[in-house]
Amino acid sequence: MKKIIEVKNLTKEYKNLKAVDNLSFEVYQGEILGLLGPNGSGKSTTINSILSLLNFSNGSIKIFGSEMNPDSYEIKKNIGVVFQDVALFEELTAYENIDYFCGLYIKDKKIRQKYIEDAIELVGLNDFKKFYPKQLSGGLLRRLNIACGIAHKPKLIFLDEPTVAVDPQSRNNILDGIKKLRDNGATIIYTTHYMEEVEILCNRVIIIDKGKVLASGTLDELKALSLIEEKISIEVNDLDLKYIEEIKQFRNVDEVVYDDNHLIISYEKGKNNIIKLIDYLKDKNITYNNLYVMRPTLNDVFLSLTGKELRD
Amino acid sequence: MIVFKTFLKILNKNKFIIIMYTAILIFFGGMNMSTNDKSTNFVTSKPDVLIINNDEDIGITKNLIDYIKSNSNIIDIKNDEDAINDALFYRDVNYIIYIPTNFRSYFLENKNPQIEIKTTGDYQASLAEMMLERYLKVANIYNSILDNEDDIIESINNTLSKEVKAEITSKLDTDSLSKVTLFYNFSNYSILAGCVYVICLILSSFKDEKIRKRTIISSTNYKKINRNLLISNSLFALILWFFYVILSLVLLGDIMFSIHGLICIINSFIFTICALTLAFLLANLINSKDAINGIVNVVALGSSFLCGAFVPMEWLPDSVIKIAHFLPSYWYIKTNELLKTMEIFNFDTMKPIIINMAVIILFSIGFIIITNYFSRKKQKFA
Ligand SMILES: Nc1ncnc2c1ncn2[C@@H]1O[C@H](COP(=O)(O)OP(=O)(O)OP(=O)(O)O)[C@@H](O)[C@H]1O
Ligand SMILES: [Mg+2]
Repeated sequence: MKKIIEVKNLTKEYKNLKAVDNLSFEVYQGEILGLLGPNGSGKSTTINSILSLLNFSNGSIKIFGSEMNPDSYEIKKNIGVVFQDVALFEELTAYENIDYFCGLYIKDKKIRQKYIEDAIELVGLNDFKKFYPKQLSGGLLRRLNIACGIAHKPKLIFLDEPTVAVDPQSRNNILDGIKKLRDNGATIIYTTHYMEEVEILCNRVIIIDKGKVLASGTLDELKALSLIEEKISIEVNDLDLKYIEEIKQFRNVDEVVYDDNHLIISYEKGKNNIIKLIDYLKDKNITYNNLYVMRPTLNDVFLSLTGKELRD
Repeated sequence: MIVFKTFLKILNKNKFIIIMYTAILIFFGGMNMSTNDKSTNFVTSKPDVLIINNDEDIGITKNLIDYIKSNSNIIDIKNDEDAINDALFYRDVNYIIYIPTNFRSYFLENKNPQIEIKTTGDYQASLAEMMLERYLKVANIYNSILDNEDDIIESINNTLSKEVKAEITSKLDTDSLSKVTLFYNFSNYSILAGCVYVICLILSSFKDEKIRKRTIISSTNYKKINRNLLISNSLFALILWFFYVILSLVLLGDIMFSIHGLICIINSFIFTICALTLAFLLANLINSKDAINGIVNVVALGSSFLCGAFVPMEWLPDSVIKIAHFLPSYWYIKTNELLKTMEIFNFDTMKPIIINMAVIILFSIGFIIITNYFSRKKQKFA
């Protein structure tokens, strides 16, 4: 597979803090790479360094096979960026905003018009073309911000937490749009601290914390790293404490949580866990509802790797 | 192109407030010009004269000095060339009369002694000059028909005391000229407010950190975008200036086609450049659009009051004038004021005006240097 980005030993230090610490990774053509990490883990700093917006202390960045510099305009032509913070002109309408940012890349008016329409279509802002940013809701602003970043049809797209503080409707719209971009052939780097999004979108994930790569690989590869293999959830009313203690003594059980009449049992590994549990409940005449098995999430992976939750 | 287009769009979005600003300015400017007419009472004021007498203070010499004294404010400056030139430059004195040694004896012998003078060349100076010329004319007439010095003096005094009521006429259309000065003084406010408001507005949009970042990673060279912004803003300032020049031609008419008018126009052009550079500096310093109105008021209104754009400079206390020296508006308005009473244009009389203009240009260069310093610092921070 063709390498689109090569990051080698990237280090960015602020006065007394290593925001990015000797980071190396690659991005391949046509994939959506998820950059997953908690707040302050260095996701934005990594992206800004790759884009030459920051002077990094050490390391090398190659994009499309060439060294990336502040004046690599040929490379920049094919890059689209959607920053974490919404960047829009208050005085311009939605359409005019896209026109400005697209105009920085595409000089031809006719082509630009077509591209702007495509972008508006993609993020579903057809009804809001003439609206000013002040008149748009948070979710619509985010969508407009995305449209501004991708209207010029770049081959490589950076999206830095484009769904932060967005309602579910806009979020779904945004995620669908990103899939469409990938289907149209773009390579995408997607940072977020929402693991659910990563599970829906990404082919490959890099988990970072404190500026370092904790783990990387496909979803399945990462989940294999989890200490927990499965979780069983059952609805039981007024379960006696002594039963919980007994369940904790089962083989392979890592953790038992009983909360709001829900019993959640995490298993490290093993087979037949569920049959053993059902037998036990029958044996003790405990009535139960809604029993189901959960696969480990990236949060479990993160928990296993760092001992803390991805989101606090 | 896209930058210029966006510039126009942002201007367009703010057209209402800009048009209103301009309308209010023109309205107040017009009011200012019609109400302030009477403040031009310098016509009745006496010129400031310095007499340097190298003759004995007796006879005809004493009489000449007494006559000048009774019709002007005598200024006392030590007899030192530098001090005298400074006084002329700062308009502490309008006219200097050097009475030569042996003036009296030469005069009485009909030897036609030469009185040397120095002048600021303005209206006040010409009053003093007329006074001196009239005295010498009358004195020469009596000197040729009478022999006794006392008789000559008595006759001169008789004639001059009768003539005192005679109108002193000047070639200057002082009424129109003071209107020109008022208009261009007022434009100090208009030009500053216009430039600062629009340029801060435009640049605070483009230089917004998020938009700047987003623009820098695009494939358009950021230097080029900056250059286009500079051109767009300069063009705006130029059009604003041109608009006020045209307005002055419409409101003030023919007088604008005189040397006075021409210098006023040049002066306002130089000042517009300075306002432009100041606007760039301020746009670099402010962080929020909400600050713009405040800045416009402080800068444009403040400097207009301090430097006498609305109120004649003579009325301002000395302490205010001293502060005003540190503002470009002061030097701009000073030229307008000089022009109001300027009668003779030559290198000497133009010198203060040229110096004023040079000071404004120095201010502009200073603003550019400071702006560069701050924008460098900002970029380093990233
Ligand atoms: N300009 C700066 N000066 C000093 N420290 C900074 C600066 N910018 C970021 N940092 C620090 O660098 C670390 C990484 O920040 P970064 O913004 O890259 O995190 P992030 O993963 O994008 O977080 P978030 O999910 O909140 O966006 C943080 O600890 C942050 O406080
Ligand atoms: Mg971030």
